[in-house]
Amino acid sequence: MAMTRLARWAARSPAPVFAAIGPGRQAETERLLARPGLRRAATPRDAAILLVAGDLPGDTAEALSHVHDQLPHPRATLRWQADAPDAIAARIETAWRDICAGERDEDDHLPDEPPNAWKGIGPHGQGGKGMMGGTPYGRPMAMTGTDIRDGLRLDRYTARFGPFLPMLPPGLVLQVTLQGDVICDLDVQAPPLAQAADADAPDLCAARMLRLLGLDRAAHRVMHGQSARALWLRGAVPKRIGRIDGTSARDRLIAWLAGDTVSVAPPDLPALLHGAEWAEAMLILASLPPSALIRAARGVEAA
Amino acid sequence: MTDLMIALLTAFAVWTGWRVFRVDSMVRASFALMLSFVAVGAIGVLLSAPYIGVATVFMMAVEMMVMAIFMVMFMMNPAGLNPMVMVHQHRLSIGAGIVAFIGLSAAVLLSPLPSNPVAADTDVVAQLGHELLGPSMLIFETAGVTLLATMVGAVILSSRQGRFGSADEGSRPPGLTEGGDPAGRQPEGGGGHGHHHHEGH
Amino acid sequence: MTALLTLAVLATLLGGTLFAVALDRAYLPLLALFTRQRVETEAPDRLNRDLAPAWYLALAAIGIAVVPFAPDLALIDSPVGIVIWGSCEALIVLTVFLHGWSPNAPFPLIGAYRYAAIGLPVMLPSMFVLIAAALPAESLSLVAIVDSQREVWNVIRQPLGLPLFMVVALAMTLRGPMDYADAADIATGTSAEDSGAGRAVWQIARLAMLVSVSAIAATVFLGGPLGPVLPGPVWLWLKTGALMALTVWIGNRVARTTPSRMLTILWVVLLPLSFLHLLISGLIAL
Repeated sequence: MAMTRLARWAARSPAPVFAAIGPGRQAETERLLARPGLRRAATPRDAAILLVAGDLPGDTAEALSHVHDQLPHPRATLRWQADAPDAIAARIETAWRDICAGERDEDDHLPDEPPNAWKGIGPHGQGGKGMMGGTPYGRPMAMTGTDIRDGLRLDRYTARFGPFLPMLPPGLVLQVTLQGDVICDLDVQAPPLAQAADADAPDLCAARMLRLLGLDRAAHRVMHGQSARALWLRGAVPKRIGRIDGTSARDRLIAWLAGDTVSVAPPDLPALLHGAEWAEAMLILASLPPSALIRAARGVEAA
Repeated sequence: MTDLMIALLTAFAVWTGWRVFRVDSMVRASFALMLSFVAVGAIGVLLSAPYIGVATVFMMAVEMMVMAIFMVMFMMNPAGLNPMVMVHQHRLSIGAGIVAFIGLSAAVLLSPLPSNPVAADTDVVAQLGHELLGPSMLIFETAGVTLLATMVGAVILSSRQGRFGSADEGSRPPGLTEGGDPAGRQPEGGGGHGHHHHEGH
Repeated sequence: MTALLTLAVLATLLGGTLFAVALDRAYLPLLALFTRQRVETEAPDRLNRDLAPAWYLALAAIGIAVVPFAPDLALIDSPVGIVIWGSCEALIVLTVFLHGWSPNAPFPLIGAYRYAAIGLPVMLPSMFVLIAAALPAESLSLVAIVDSQREVWNVIRQPLGLPLFMVVALAMTLRGPMDYADAADIATGTSAEDSGAGRAVWQIARLAMLVSVSAIAATVFLGGPLGPVLPGPVWLWLKTGALMALTVWIGNRVARTTPSRMLTILWVVLLPLSFLHLLISGLIAL
């Protein structure tokens, strides 16, 4: 009996949604997730509903399966094609109620087994020959390497990020080599998916940056047409980052908060992000209107 | 009751100290070491040395955190994926361990321990403060300033940005003969000046 | 008396945490988390994963246990009360680090070392501010610090103290401008791999720590249980609640800058400022 009461309370909470955004659906999806009955989950682990908006390209299928399997049970996948926002919001809320009542769940898409066997080969049970670097158990490990800042040889950690990370533009896949927080190498492996002009709307662009600044409520207010009402907004964005044709990330945030649309020339992403820290890089990416990002990545692909 | 607590804390300190050498990652090892020190700090509190006891916990927590940061900097190895062995140079360490144990045991057993109970309402923290900033001030301040100077010096020496430009550029020793090759080891690879010059001979 | 005080500490922790959940409007989402599965990452450090939230909660409880509920009544009436709280702060940084280190995943690890790098310089102003508060009391005991505020509260006598300590409070509760562990740019950082009850317990521990750090601030700067008419504990609760609301408000309103910029601010601005604060407080106390 207690469990059902807990389930009833749970069903009344906002439905936690993780969105995989397809081409042309960014603006709609971001506005949908700002509705009162829904909650934008920052990680699949915090979500119960995987919302697949639009037609995802075939090469993202595996990534989508990985995200799907990262959602804790019970979970549901909803495909959003032509529904009106009201209709999909109602479908999400129904699915969340069913999940809470234990009437809906989905199995894993991929087999839940380690990609390589956990079998040590070294003399002390470790996976590789040495204590650092190499690929113990088939898993690449960080290894010290030259540093781009001060010559201190720290560990370089390489990983692929994207295409559905909420702080990256939808579709963008980056292979990043990090030394601590510093990006020392960056490769654009997949461009952001094409978005319509409505993704450049000032309130959406400002909200993306506000969320990175830890101001979820201000982002919410901005998306509902109110002022951000936040302190130290401009000061928090470092002055020098994200400079493209005379405007910096901070200038663009100010323009968006004032309700102006910003257009910038397509930037050279690797050059812009190389040497930046992870937090700065995410701010820089959010400070670029989606249209500029898409053209930038297309340019790299063509070259 | 206090005796029992001290016995338990001692056992915990020894067990966590032993774990330092048995766990398979450096982060686990440093935190096991910290737990060992926390137990020692708690014994200090039970022995009516509250400031020293609590300060031990505080210092060790900060210290082990700094150690863990350095480990992640140089070995980004989350959750100890690649197991490591925490024991090296077995013979030397066994020998050093035995010598240290005998020495410390001898010190405990042979030195005359004072038996001079203080009254329960003695203000031990204030007394410690008066001692540290009174008769022992010179010793502690000297040690403190020396440590600070060492830290500042280490940072300055290891910094790449120097007063006269980048530390790893142009800093070549003078030649052994007038106008001769710079003394010391030639930098290998990189196609620097030294290499070409060498070929010229 | 000890039993009564233990009860008071636990009641404060529980009631305060419930209040903190209300301030964050997180009742239903937290309840919903308990219905969700707890997913295990590949090769996690299980011991530390389970211990991290427990330590966070325990440190919050220790923080409240050193707070006097009446002018001369604390559960842990130690002559070195503020040093105990200082140790708690150091151990909080460690706990958050372990929370990020244990799931064996990139974002939690980034959150973990980032927080450790921010947490260490945050502790220095915290120590100077607390020592400054100990100067007029001529004691490290929180009971004596409360006693020294009978005529004028430290928030007036040492005006820089509370603002500097609010920075510490935000950092210790992973909130708003000082939340470098669970930030949005790393997908909630150390919590990125938490789900279900594990995620809920970490959030609850974080809110419990808000009660603890606010109670310490209320004791050190607002005279703790001192006040007219109402009994001591009620004054402590009122002041703690007000500081909790202030912390939540700042956390929701102030933007978070990048970690390297915050490090510069901490070392170059806040540390000298806290030195100055200590110097002025010392001169006044003379």
